[in-house]
Amino acid sequence: MMNLYFEPFIIPFCIGVVVLFGVMWTKFISWISRLPKTDKRLILKNAVSSATFAALWEVIRECLLHMRIRRVNLRLWYMHMSLAFGWFLLIVVGRIEGGIALGSLMNPPYVDVFFRKYFPYIHIPGFGFLMDLILLFILSGLGLAVYKRFNSRKLGMKRTTRLKRTDRVALISLWCIFPVRLLAESFNSALFESGSFLTGSLGDLFALIFPTIALYYINNLLWWCYSVVLGTFFIMLPFSRYLHIFAEIPLIFLRAYGIRAKANPTTFSKLQIAACSRCGICIDPCQLAQNNLTNNTQSVYFLRNIRDKEQSPDITDHCLLCGRCEQICPVGIELNTIRISSRHLQRAGEIRFDYSYFRGTDLSAGEGKVGYFAGCMGQLSPKTAAAMKRIFQESETDVWYADSEGSVCCGRPQKMAGNLDAARQMTEYNTSLFEKHGIRTLVTSCPICLKTFREDYRLPDIEVLHHSEYIARLLETGRLKRNPSSKILTYHDPCELGRGSGIYDDPRKVISRIGILKEAPDNREHSLCCGSSLGNTRLSTPQKIQIAKSVTDTYEKTGAEYLVTSCPLCKKALGRTSRIQVIDLSEALFLE
Amino acid sequence: MAKRVIIIGGGVAGMQAAITLKKLGCSPLLIEKSVELGGKLNHWDRLFPSGMKAKELIQNMVDEIASLNIKIMLCSEISEIRHEGERVEVGLTDGNAFEGEALVIATGFELFNASVKEEYGYGIYENVITSADLEAMFSEGTVSTSTGLPPRSVAFLHCVGSRDLQIGQPHCSKVCCITGVKQAIEIRELLPECQIYNFYMDMRMFGSGYEELYKKAQETFRINFIRGRISEASETADRQIRIKAEDTLLGRPLKLTVDLLVLMIGKRAAVCNKTFADNLDIPLNESGFLQAKDDFYNNTATRHDNVFIIGTSLAPKTVGEALNDASMASTRIYDYLTRNERQL
Amino acid sequence: MNKWGFGINEKRSIDLDKNSPDIADRVLRDEPSLRLCIGCGGCTATCSAGNLTRFNFRRVHHLLRRGEYAALSGEIDKCMLCGKCTLVCPRGINTRNVVLSIRKHLSV
Repeated sequence: MMNLYFEPFIIPFCIGVVVLFGVMWTKFISWISRLPKTDKRLILKNAVSSATFAALWEVIRECLLHMRIRRVNLRLWYMHMSLAFGWFLLIVVGRIEGGIALGSLMNPPYVDVFFRKYFPYIHIPGFGFLMDLILLFILSGLGLAVYKRFNSRKLGMKRTTRLKRTDRVALISLWCIFPVRLLAESFNSALFESGSFLTGSLGDLFALIFPTIALYYINNLLWWCYSVVLGTFFIMLPFSRYLHIFAEIPLIFLRAYGIRAKANPTTFSKLQIAACSRCGICIDPCQLAQNNLTNNTQSVYFLRNIRDKEQSPDITDHCLLCGRCEQICPVGIELNTIRISSRHLQRAGEIRFDYSYFRGTDLSAGEGKVGYFAGCMGQLSPKTAAAMKRIFQESETDVWYADSEGSVCCGRPQKMAGNLDAARQMTEYNTSLFEKHGIRTLVTSCPICLKTFREDYRLPDIEVLHHSEYIARLLETGRLKRNPSSKILTYHDPCELGRGSGIYDDPRKVISRIGILKEAPDNREHSLCCGSSLGNTRLSTPQKIQIAKSVTDTYEKTGAEYLVTSCPLCKKALGRTSRIQVIDLSEALFLE
Repeated sequence: MAKRVIIIGGGVAGMQAAITLKKLGCSPLLIEKSVELGGKLNHWDRLFPSGMKAKELIQNMVDEIASLNIKIMLCSEISEIRHEGERVEVGLTDGNAFEGEALVIATGFELFNASVKEEYGYGIYENVITSADLEAMFSEGTVSTSTGLPPRSVAFLHCVGSRDLQIGQPHCSKVCCITGVKQAIEIRELLPECQIYNFYMDMRMFGSGYEELYKKAQETFRINFIRGRISEASETADRQIRIKAEDTLLGRPLKLTVDLLVLMIGKRAAVCNKTFADNLDIPLNESGFLQAKDDFYNNTATRHDNVFIIGTSLAPKTVGEALNDASMASTRIYDYLTRNERQL
Repeated sequence: MNKWGFGINEKRSIDLDKNSPDIADRVLRDEPSLRLCIGCGGCTATCSAGNLTRFNFRRVHHLLRRGEYAALSGEIDKCMLCGKCTLVCPRGINTRNVVLSIRKHLSV
C-alpha cells in the first residue's frame, strides 16, 4: 500500500485542492458540454490536427511565459511571468526532488509541497539551491505586484483594477503564500540546516535570535500557515478572478479549433469571461478613460460585472466598441462580441422592433453588375457619393445604386445595440434585394455596413468590397489612372475597417498613388476612434466632440494638408474639430 | 494735443467710432486690413428692413471720414498688441507700430463656411448658394441658376451655421431671419412667377419694422413659409436641387425640388478674437465672441479702462446696433481721456 | 350632455392634468439632451424609417413629453437605430439613446 504521509497540518491544503479541482472541472465540463453542436463538431474535426500542437505551444507561451504582455509592458510582463512560470517551476522541480528522494513519482502532492517539513535531512545536490532560486524569482515578481497595487503608474500603467471582496481574500492569500513559505523554510533551516543560500542564511539568522524551543513552535505554526494560505487561495480560486490561471488553457485549445464567441452568447463566452486575468491592460488604451469620460465601463470592469452578476446598461452601453482593448488583450478575449451579447441579453424582453413595412419599399428597377451601397451615413456625405459616382464613370462600371432603390439600413447599428432580431430583419430584406438584382460585386463606402455584410449576411455569389479595396483594385488593374503629386496626406483608420475588418493596406496603397502618406503616431491596429462610434449610445455630443478633438490633434501634428479617412461617420466626426481638411478616400482621387 | 485712439477694423462700427471720436476732439487712427473701408457691407446689396443700399451708407461714412481728415491705414494687418497701463501699442505686419491712449476693437465677424454642413451640398452642387452669394447676384441685378436662366423655384434655408451645437455654433446669428424675408421679397420683385419657400425653425422678427416686413412677405409677396429644417439636399440629373425636410406643422416628411437653394449662413466669431482674448486677457464666450464687462452700462467696456469692443466682435448684431456700440464706446473713451481735466 | 350639438371633443385634447409625466421623466433622466429639442424636424426629414412609415421622431418626442404614451408603442418599434438623426440634429441630441430608453421604459 502507498504511504499517505498523513499529518494534520496538510488538511487545509488538501481541502483547497479538492475544492479547486472539483469546482473548476465542473465549470469547464459544463461549459464545454453546453457548446452548440456546430462548435462541438469543430472540436471533433480539428482536435486531431496540428491545431492541438499549436495550441499547446500557445499555452506554454501565454499561460506560463505571458509573451503577449511582454510586448505591451516589460515590467508588467515580468510580474505576471515570474508568478506564473515561477510557481510552475516550483511545482515541477519540487515534484522531481520528491520523486528522486522517495524513489517514486506516485507520492501524494503535499509531500512535494511540504517536502522540507517532511524530510529536513534529505539533501539532493543542487535542488536546495534551485528551489531557493525559484522562490526568490517568485518573490521578486510578487514584490512588483504589491508595488503595482499601491502605485500602478510606476509600472507603466495609468490605472489599475479595483477589487471585490472574494478577489481581495484571494489576493491577500496569494500574496501570503510565498513570504510564508520563505519564513517556514527558513525556520525549518534554523532547526535542521535544510536551506540553501536564501532560506539557509535567513535560518542562520533566526537561529541566532530565537531559542531552539521557540524555533520549533514557530516552525510548526508557519507550516500550518503555509497550508492554510494555500488552501484558502485554492478554495477562492474558482470563485475569483484567479480562475483565469486555468481557464485560459481550454480557451486556447477551443480557439485553435476555430470556435468563436457569438453575439447570441454561447458557453464559450463564459469561458472567455473566466479567462480574464484582470491585468487591466485594456484600461489605458480606452479613449473614454483617456478623456476622463468614464472610469468604470472598461472591458476589465465590464467582464468583472458579468462574473459578479452586477451588469447594468450604464456599463454595458457605455463603450465605443472601437476594439482598441480587444486588439491589445493578452488573453485574446473577444470583447466586442461579448459586449454586444451582453446588450442583447439586457434588451431581450423589450418591445420587438417590427420592420414589416420593408415590404413595398423596393423601388428598384434595372440590373447592374456592381451594386453600390453608400449606407445611411454615406447619404449624409454627398461629397463621397459624388466622388464614387465619378469613379464608376471613369472606370466605365455598370452600377446599381442600392440606396436610392429601396435598400435599408444594414442592421449593424441594431446589432451593436444588442437587438439581434431587429438586425436580422434588415439582413434578410437587403439580402433578397441584392439577390434579386443579380449583382456580383457589392461596394460600400461605409465600414460599418462592410463588417456586417461580410460577417452576418449570407451572400455566397456576391463579392463584398469596401470602396478602399475597390479603388485600390481599379488603380492596380489600370482601370483608374492617377499620378502621384507632392500633396501630403495623413490617414485615419476607421475602427470597423481596420481592427474590425483587417483592412489597413488598401487605403494606404490608394493614398500613395496620389500623394505622400504621413502617418500619425497611433496608426493601423493602434489607431484611435473618432469618438462618434455607433457602438456607444451613451456619449453626449460635447463628449464626442471632446474625443474627436483629442484625435484630430494627433493628425494636425503630422503636418499633412489633408486628413483622409474612409468612413462617412469618422469623416463627419473628425471634420467637426480638425483644422486640416478632412476628406474621404474617394474624394482624395479628385484633389486639384 | 489731441489724444490718439487706435481703432482696429474699418467696418461700419469702426468708421462710426472714428467719426464720433474725431468730433469729440480725439485723434482716431483707423486700421483696416483690406483695401477699402466698409467691411462686410461692401459685399452686401441692400439693408433690411428699409432696403437702403449698403453702398450708400458706406459712401456717406467714407465721405465724412475724409472731410474730418481722420487718419486711416488700409491694407494693414495687426501683428501684435501690447497693453501697458495707460498706453496701448499696436504693431503691424509691415513693421510699423503705433502708440495710443485707448483702443477700440471693431474687427467684426466671419461668415459661416457653408461647406462645413456637407449634407446641404454647398461646394458640391452648383445650384446651392449662400445668402452672401445671392447678395452678389442682387448687386449685379440678376438672379440665375448655373445654366444662366432665372430660377423657377427658390428655397431658402434659415439657420445654417446658427443654433447648431454639432459644429460649435450655439448662438442665434440674429440677422438671418429678417435677411431671409428681405431676400425672398427681392427675388419676388425680380421674378414675379418664381415659387419661393422659406424653411425656418422660428421667425425671430425682433426689430422695428421686421414683423411688418414678414407680414408683407406673406401677404403681398406670396412667400411660402414652411416650418422645418432641411436635413439634406441632393442633385437631380438636370441639376435641380432635391431637398428633404419635415413639415413639422403637419408632422410629415416633405420632398421638394427647386432650381436654387439659398443657405442663410450665420455669423461666426472671427478667428482674431482669440488673439485679442490672449493678449488683453478678455474672456471669450462659448461661440468665441469677445465678452464685454457686462451686458448693460459696460456693454462695450473691458477690464482695461482704455480698451473697448464694439459691433460684431461681441456678438451677432445688426448694422444699427453696431453703430450704437460705436457711439457708446466713443463717449466712454472721451470720458476716460478727459478724466483728469474734469477733476480740475 | 351637449345640448348644442357642438363643442370640444374631450378625447382630442391632451389633458396635462391627467397625463402622468413618469415615463417622460425616466427617459429624460436617461438622456437629458432630449430637453434641448427645438422641434426643427431635421430628424424626421432624414429618418431612414420615417420616409417609409409613419414613424416620426420629433412627434414621438412630443408625445412622450406630453405623456401620450399609448400613441408611442406602435411607433418606436419602426426605428432602425441607424443614427442619421443624431448626425443631423442641430442640438446634438443623442437620439439613439432616446429610442432605446423609450423602448426600455415602455416595455416595463
